[in-house]
Amino acid sequence: MTDRRPKIVGFCCEKHGADAAVLAARSGKHIDASVRLVQVPCTGRIDGIHLLSALEEGADAVFVLGCLEKNCYYDTGSIEGRKRVGYVKQVLAEAGIEKERVEMFNAASTNAWAFPEAAAKMVEVAKRLGPIGGGEK
Amino acid sequence: MIVAKRKPLGEIAEMLASYKKVTVIGCRSCVAICLAGGEKEVKMLVSALKIRNRKEGKRQDFEGLVVERQCEKEWVKEVEDKILGSDITLSMACSLGAQTIGDMYPKHLTFPGLNTGIFGVPEEQGVWSEKCVGCGDCIIHTTGGICPISRCAKSMLNGPCGGSADRKCEVNLEVECAWAAIYDRLKLQNRLDLIERITPAKDWSTSHSGGRRVFVREDAKLTQHQKKGKEVVL
Amino acid sequence: MKAMVQVVLCRCCIEVSKLLDMERLQKVASESNNVVSTVAVDAVCDGRNLAPVMAEAKLKEVDRAVVLACHKKDISPAVVKAYRRAGVNEYLVEFVNIREEVVLPHMGDHESAQKKAETKLRAAISRAVLLSPLEKLTEQMATRNVVIIGAGVAGQAAASEAARTGAHTILLEKTGRSLKAPGVILPHSQVVGAKGYGGNFTLRIRAGEKSEDLGAAAVVVATGGGWTSLRGPLAKAVKDAMPLYRFYEVLLSGSPPNGPVVIVDTPDPVGKTVRVQDYAWDETLETVIELKKKHPDTLVTVVFQEMRAFGLSELAYKEAADIGVRFVRYDRNGSPKVDPKQPNTLTVKDLSLGEVLSIRFGTLVFASIPPNEDNKLLADALRISMTADGGTRRGSIQRWPVTTPKPGVFVCGSALFPKSKAEAKVEGQAAGAMAGAFVMRGVVEYGGVVAEVTQDKCSACLTCVRTCPYEAPFIGTASKAEIRIQACQGCGMCVGICPSKAIELRNYTDEQIMTETRTLLGGDF
Repeated sequence: MTDRRPKIVGFCCEKHGADAAVLAARSGKHIDASVRLVQVPCTGRIDGIHLLSALEEGADAVFVLGCLEKNCYYDTGSIEGRKRVGYVKQVLAEAGIEKERVEMFNAASTNAWAFPEAAAKMVEVAKRLGPIGGGEK
Repeated sequence: MIVAKRKPLGEIAEMLASYKKVTVIGCRSCVAICLAGGEKEVKMLVSALKIRNRKEGKRQDFEGLVVERQCEKEWVKEVEDKILGSDITLSMACSLGAQTIGDMYPKHLTFPGLNTGIFGVPEEQGVWSEKCVGCGDCIIHTTGGICPISRCAKSMLNGPCGGSADRKCEVNLEVECAWAAIYDRLKLQNRLDLIERITPAKDWSTSHSGGRRVFVREDAKLTQHQKKGKEVVL
Repeated sequence: MKAMVQVVLCRCCIEVSKLLDMERLQKVASESNNVVSTVAVDAVCDGRNLAPVMAEAKLKEVDRAVVLACHKKDISPAVVKAYRRAGVNEYLVEFVNIREEVVLPHMGDHESAQKKAETKLRAAISRAVLLSPLEKLTEQMATRNVVIIGAGVAGQAAASEAARTGAHTILLEKTGRSLKAPGVILPHSQVVGAKGYGGNFTLRIRAGEKSEDLGAAAVVVATGGGWTSLRGPLAKAVKDAMPLYRFYEVLLSGSPPNGPVVIVDTPDPVGKTVRVQDYAWDETLETVIELKKKHPDTLVTVVFQEMRAFGLSELAYKEAADIGVRFVRYDRNGSPKVDPKQPNTLTVKDLSLGEVLSIRFGTLVFASIPPNEDNKLLADALRISMTADGGTRRGSIQRWPVTTPKPGVFVCGSALFPKSKAEAKVEGQAAGAMAGAFVMRGVVEYGGVVAEVTQDKCSACLTCVRTCPYEAPFIGTASKAEIRIQACQGCGMCVGICPSKAIELRNYTDEQIMTETRTLLGGDF
C-alpha cells in the first residue's frame, strides 16, 4: 500500500466553519481529497496539542477553520483559536519546522469560497514542503 | 508566584540530543499557572520534539508526565521509576524542581527545560511583572507599598534619581519610574513626609549573598526522634 | 461493556451510491468488532425509511450509531428523535457528512472518494466507541420577568412586544418622566449589579435611594444614546448649544429659532474626548427641511465630515440643498472652532472651497449622538461587552442582531449605535419579542456537551475563569475550578486553554479528537 501524499488535516468549528464547507460543496467547488476535516464545537476548543499531534501522526499540513472573528458564534472562540494556532507556529519555528504548515482561516457560513481557498492553500504548502522528514513516519 | 519561561525548543533539543530515553516532568504549581510547565506545555513540548526528530531522522523516546509540586521530594518520589528508567530527565518546573530531582538522584542527569525568571504578579492573562527580588528585608511599608528594589532600575532606596522624567525611567522609557509611583501613592495616603526621609543603606546580608539562604521554622521541623524510620509515602 | 454500534449508510437519493461503492463501505463497517448492525437506506431524511432501521437497532440492542449521510444540521433532529425512541442516547449518535465532505467535492475521483469515505467511516466508528451518554437537564425559571432597561422608543416597543407573548414586563427608567407602556414602570431606577445566567438572573436595582434585588428571566438593554452628555470644545465654548432632538422639540413647539442655525456633526470634531459613534443624518435632514419650510428666512448651515443618510433619505439631502440649506464639509485639519471670546461665530475650513469660512450663528446644534455613558456601568453590572465606540456589543449580526453574546440579554435601539426613531422602534419590537419568547419557554435547558473539571488536576490558576465569555467556570469552595453548567454553552474555550489539562469538554475530549484525527490520517487517498 502506498502512503499517498499530501495529507492535510483541517479542524473546523461546527458553526460557521462547517457551514462554509458544506456550502462550498453544494456550490460545486472541487476540493482536494487529501483534506480531512475534523469537527469541533468551536475553534476555541482547539488545543496546540491537537495540531502538533496531527503533524506527529503524519499530516503534512494542518489548518483551522473558524468563524469570522467579529461574528463568532461563541463570541470570542475564533480569536482564541487564532492565538492557539499562533503559539503552535512559534513552537514549530523553534523546533526548526516550517511554520507555514499550520494556518488559521476564518469564514462566514455564507462564504462558499473560504473553505476551498483554505484547502487549496494548504495543499500547495504541503506539496511544496513535502512530508516532514522525507515521508517516513 | 515564581514565573518561568520555556527555553527555546532548539536549545532543549540540543541538550537532549545524545540521550535515547527522555522523561519530561512538569509541575502543577507556579509554572503551570504561568503557562510554562503544566501538563499542556509538557505534552506540546514532547510532541514538538517528536516532530523535530522525525524531520531530522532521529530516534528518541520521550515520555511526558506531571507532578503536583516538583520542589517537594514526596511528589517527585511518586515518579521515581520513570526518572531512573530514563537516560535523562528534562524538568519543566522552575529551577527548584529541577534541583530537587537532581539532589534526590545525583547520579542521574536532570536538565532544565525552563528558564526561571522572576517573582511575578499576573497583571493580566499572559502578562507577569516582577515586583519582588526576595531581598529578605521588606521595606515597602515605608514606600507606599511599592518595592523600589525590584521596580526601580537602580534599586534606589532614596529616589527618584535625576533620570526620572515624565514619570518614565531613563533606563527604559517604556517603564514607569518606580519612585514616581511611590510619590503618587504616598501623596494619596497623605504620607508624603516619608519621601523626604533618608533611608540609610540597606542591610544586604539578608539578600542573595554568602551562598544559599535557608529559612527555618524550628517549631515545624520534625525532631530526630519523630523522623526516625519514617519516610513519607503518599 | 462493549460498545454496540449500528452503522447507517444513506444513499442520499442515490447521489452517494452513484459515486461510492456501498457494499465496500458496509464491509468496512463490519470489520470493526464493535459494529453489530449495518443498514443502507435510500434517504435517511425520510422518516418512513427510519422505521426498519430502528427496528433493527432494537433487535440488535445497539447503544450507539454512526450515520453516514449529509449535513448534520439537516438530518440530526429527525434521526436523533428516532434513536431516542429506540433507546439510544442522542449524544451517542455520530454523524458523518459523506455527501458534502466526500461525494460532492470529489466527483469524478471514484477511487479517492471511496477510500476517503471508508476512512471517514472508520474514524467515526473509532470516535463513536469513545462517546459517553449525556443528558440535557432543565431548570425552572423562577420568574417570567423581562426587565427592560431604559424606557425610550426602543424600550417601550420592547415592552409592548414582550407583554404580547405573556411575559411580565418591568421597565426601568432613569428619569421620572411619565410613560405609557405595559407592565411595571420603575422610575428613577438603574441596574447596578447582576448575578445568575439567562433564565434566572438576579438584578440589583437601585431605585432612588433604595436598592433591592429583582429576579429576571431575560434582560433587554434599551438605554438609548447619550443624549444628555454633550462634551467637547464646541459644547464648552457655546453654552446654549443643544442636541438635535432638543432643537427638534423647540421647532415643533412653534417658536422661531434664535438667529441663524448651524448644525455641526459633533461637539468634539477632533474626537479627543467624545467618541462619536455615528451621526443622526436622517434626522438632521428631516429637521432642516422642516425648519426651512416653517421659517424660510432662517439661514441654515450643516457642517459635517461625512454625510451618511440611509437609503432614500439621500433624496432629502438634495431636497434640503434645493431649498437653500448650506452644506459645509470639513476634514480634521480644518475642523470647526468657536473662539470663546466670540461665541457666535464658527470658523471652519470648507473642503470644497478650500477657504476658511466664518459662520455667524444664533443657535448651535449637534447632530451627533454620543454613546450613552450608562453603557459602561451597565456593561460592568451585567458583565456584557462593549464596542470600541462605547456602545453595547451585540452577538453575531447575521444570527441575532438584537442579542448580546450573553444568553438571555437582548439589546436594541441606540444602545448599540445611534438610530432613527423608526429603526429603534423596530429593533425594540424584535428584542421584546425574542425576550418574551425566551422567557415563556419557562425552563432553562442546559447540560449535554458542557465542560467538566477534573479537580485533582486543577491549580486554580483562573485562566478558564478569565477566558470564558459566558462566566461558566468559577473557583468553588474547594479552591478548584467548577463549571456553572447552566451558563456553559459548550464551546470548549476553557478546555483548550487550561494549562493543567484539568478541563474536558464532554464528547469532545482530547482523546476523542485525537483518535479521530489519527484514524483519518491512517487512510491513504
